[in-house]
Amino acid sequence: MDIREILNKERLYSDGGFGTLLQARGLEPGEKPENWNITHPDDITAIHLEYLNAGSDIISTNTFGANPLKFDNLEQIISAAFFNAKKAVELSGKEKAFIAFDMGPTGKLLEPLGDLSFEKAVEVFAETVKIAEKYSPDLYIVETMNDSYETKAAVLAVKENSDRAVFVSNVYDESRKLMTGASPKAMIALLEGLGADAIGINCSLGPRQMVDIVREYVKYSSLPVMVCPNAGLPRSTDGKTVFDVDSDEFSDCMAEIAEIGAAILGGCCGTTPAYIRKTVAKTEKIPFTPVKKKEYTFVSSYTHAVEIGKVPVLIGERINPTGKPKFKQALREGNISYIINEGVMQEEKGVDILDVNVGLPEIDEETMLVKCIKELQTVSALPLQIDTVKPSAMEKAMRVYNGKPLINSVNGKQESMDAVLPLVKKYGGTVIALTIDEQGIPDTAEGRAAIAEKIINECSKYGIDKKDVIVDPLAMTVSSDNLSGKITLDSVKMIKEQLGVKTSLGVSNISFGLPSRETVNSHFLTMAFALGLDCAIMNPYSVAMMESYYSFRALSGLDENCTDYIGFASSLKREAVTVASSASHSESEDMTPLVRAIVKGMKEDALLRAKELLKKEEPLTVINEYIVPALDKVGRHFEAKTMYLPQLLMSAEAASRAFDAVKELVSASEESKGKIIVATVKGDIHDIGKNIVKVLLENYGYDVIDLGKDVPPEVIVNKAKEEKVSLVGLSALMTTTTDAMKETVALLKKECPDTVTVVGGAVLTKEYADMIGADYYAKDAMETVRFAESFFGGEG
Amino acid sequence: MGLGREYSNPEFEKIYGECLGEYCKNVFYKGVYRESSLSFGEGDELFFDFCSFKSHDLKRNLEGCKSVIVFAATTGINVDRLLLKYGAYSDLKLMTADCIASSGIECFCDILNGIISEGKETKPRFSLGYGDTELKYQSDLLSFLEADKALGITLNESMMMTPKKSVTAFIGVK
Repeated sequence: MDIREILNKERLYSDGGFGTLLQARGLEPGEKPENWNITHPDDITAIHLEYLNAGSDIISTNTFGANPLKFDNLEQIISAAFFNAKKAVELSGKEKAFIAFDMGPTGKLLEPLGDLSFEKAVEVFAETVKIAEKYSPDLYIVETMNDSYETKAAVLAVKENSDRAVFVSNVYDESRKLMTGASPKAMIALLEGLGADAIGINCSLGPRQMVDIVREYVKYSSLPVMVCPNAGLPRSTDGKTVFDVDSDEFSDCMAEIAEIGAAILGGCCGTTPAYIRKTVAKTEKIPFTPVKKKEYTFVSSYTHAVEIGKVPVLIGERINPTGKPKFKQALREGNISYIINEGVMQEEKGVDILDVNVGLPEIDEETMLVKCIKELQTVSALPLQIDTVKPSAMEKAMRVYNGKPLINSVNGKQESMDAVLPLVKKYGGTVIALTIDEQGIPDTAEGRAAIAEKIINECSKYGIDKKDVIVDPLAMTVSSDNLSGKITLDSVKMIKEQLGVKTSLGVSNISFGLPSRETVNSHFLTMAFALGLDCAIMNPYSVAMMESYYSFRALSGLDENCTDYIGFASSLKREAVTVASSASHSESEDMTPLVRAIVKGMKEDALLRAKELLKKEEPLTVINEYIVPALDKVGRHFEAKTMYLPQLLMSAEAASRAFDAVKELVSASEESKGKIIVATVKGDIHDIGKNIVKVLLENYGYDVIDLGKDVPPEVIVNKAKEEKVSLVGLSALMTTTTDAMKETVALLKKECPDTVTVVGGAVLTKEYADMIGADYYAKDAMETVRFAESFFGGEG
Repeated sequence: MGLGREYSNPEFEKIYGECLGEYCKNVFYKGVYRESSLSFGEGDELFFDFCSFKSHDLKRNLEGCKSVIVFAATTGINVDRLLLKYGAYSDLKLMTADCIASSGIECFCDILNGIISEGKETKPRFSLGYGDTELKYQSDLLSFLEADKALGITLNESMMMTPKKSVTAFIGVK
């Protein structure tokens, strides 16, 4: 029998802690339990049997850590695990007994925080699933997952290699989040999207601490909920781990959890067959309530889910090259940090979702989109809207996205629906549906609603619910047709009322070709919100737009105590005060205003002063007679210990802002003063010193290739060869990694004899630098700059 | 951060306050510890429940001890994310938050050390990587503590821990 035939029709029971029973049978600390499938098969079978006899319908194979990263004899372990489980089912004589292939985390953290790539993680799980498939499990249980990204990798691996049911269970801590930050709603959104059959919670907490999380799952999930708590919290007594909740208390609480609506009950660490037996006894009479389909529209990031349809949602539009020469330049140069910065700044402005569009004809959009998605989801907690017209780029981006994305977009053309909807079905997502088809954009609200309905119907063929479709009835400029605004607004109202779906608009199109566009945009936004618009793709830097948004919420009862409005209004006031106070500084000191702004580390003032100066001075004069002397002044103070590191960095950031003003006037082809590699050597992750050196060198006009931290010698050497770099800066902080520095210097000397090395770091001394053959020792960041100045000065 | 006591700068204090506030929102200190037997072999050889290795410096630290308590502590992974975020747009904030996190985990280790040492005569804590000890035993130590499950600490191929601000150490018990 396929377990899906009875899932959500009756309550099911899984087993309890496996490790607990293995330890009782002699498993040593640090010993791998999976090896016991081969070395102690009778013990494994006996444990399975105990659970089956206690009332478990589902038993999990002893394969929690079985993956190719940990075992060379994976097939042997998995085969033995199935043999033991099947034997137990046979011995039990039970008809209703399901064998789940158990999958735990890889033990590695995924990139960028760890070093396992997402695709490698999918590969590792896939290899395991392919072996498990040979033994026909009844289902897969992906459990004890404390990272949303790794959970996604495991579920994808199962879905891509098996048609069987998959249950997915995550570990929450006391803060009700996964260790890497996801909330229950974020996991529900992700896993429903990926097509899991049941989802839930296990390990880490006792049943009492899980109650509120279970309530949240039952409230928001359309899938059956699985709950497998620990026997309370662990503590160490006489060198042994014991748990503080006994089987009576555990089963009482599990009865409460069953009443709340959990569909699958079991246990985790510390629970034994006695816990399961009592849980079954106390819950089997409680009437079973099947989980109902929910109507929430969510998109999610690695931390949280954004609900669409409650309060208007803002989607930041700035990560998009259209009409932005600097952005286009950044894309052509592969300048990811420019793009990331746009994301971070928009987040600070208060948007809920970031639109990501990096389409330019002359670049490889697939690669760039994937790179940007990976980087953005590392530094920003906001959900992302994947915005591309290329289905191949869309698929790659959806695959690596850590959450349930918003997809921009599908339209009413059959070709578009055929390409996009299978991706939404496979990876999960909420899709923006544009009301345009083969015949173009209808000029009536009825026509646009008809296309929306066509898309919704097509989605249902793929099993994509209409709660995951957001219709964009397209704002067209009023400058070419003065009815455009009205048609769009009528469409918003009609689509919401007649089709019962959420709506979105790219707001700023409405004013194209008109003067004072912000005035038109902000009023249009308020009108659309008033008619029920759910999402606005807009520019969060526009004060007028943000005023509309906060005012609308305050006036519509969507901002309790007007808290957010007041916060927004106060931030405007603060900005005004900052500008006024920086402008009022006395200029009677012996420094020009720009030099003073840099020396004092005032970023915005430095930008303002540089712009003023550039009206009368040549860009190169501004660099050579103002910015560089200001940095020199700070450097001298730093060396004399009359200024400290924070000031040095504040000045560097201020100088960087002044450079931004200069760069706007100077062509990008301006030659740098020289190319320098900086890296923290292999085995060392302390990169603060190296980062400071990098900032200062860049400010002095050098082209710095930052290879990061923990960099193997061969990577540094290869880069030096590839880029023909004549100066390499190496940093190390730990005593144990000075050997890696020695090795790197030696390899550089051998492979790139003309390349000069400068070394630094807390544990290094001039003597040590000499001993390992480094060409120069710099005691701090300024000294590295001085050396670079003399090196390239001399060289040139 | 190398600042003197007399150092005062309102601009920096604002940034420091912001970084500290964000750090406090993201940090979630956790620690785990476990006692292991200890015996001394020939030369510098040391035997624990979970591994054995040679170290002259650790042996000197553990002289006269009957057992050791090993511990792991971490700030949690969200601090890594915060540092990555700052690194994307402000080196000053990155450095400031990095310093806050480093001193934060040290303080937490001091507290944990205090709890572990209560009522016992113990030696100063000693981490792998100090003196002549090799980082390669980190894996055995973390497995012994089940630190991946308890704290989410994982190792990369160079034996560096993630979360970045994580500490493991030996505390000798006399």
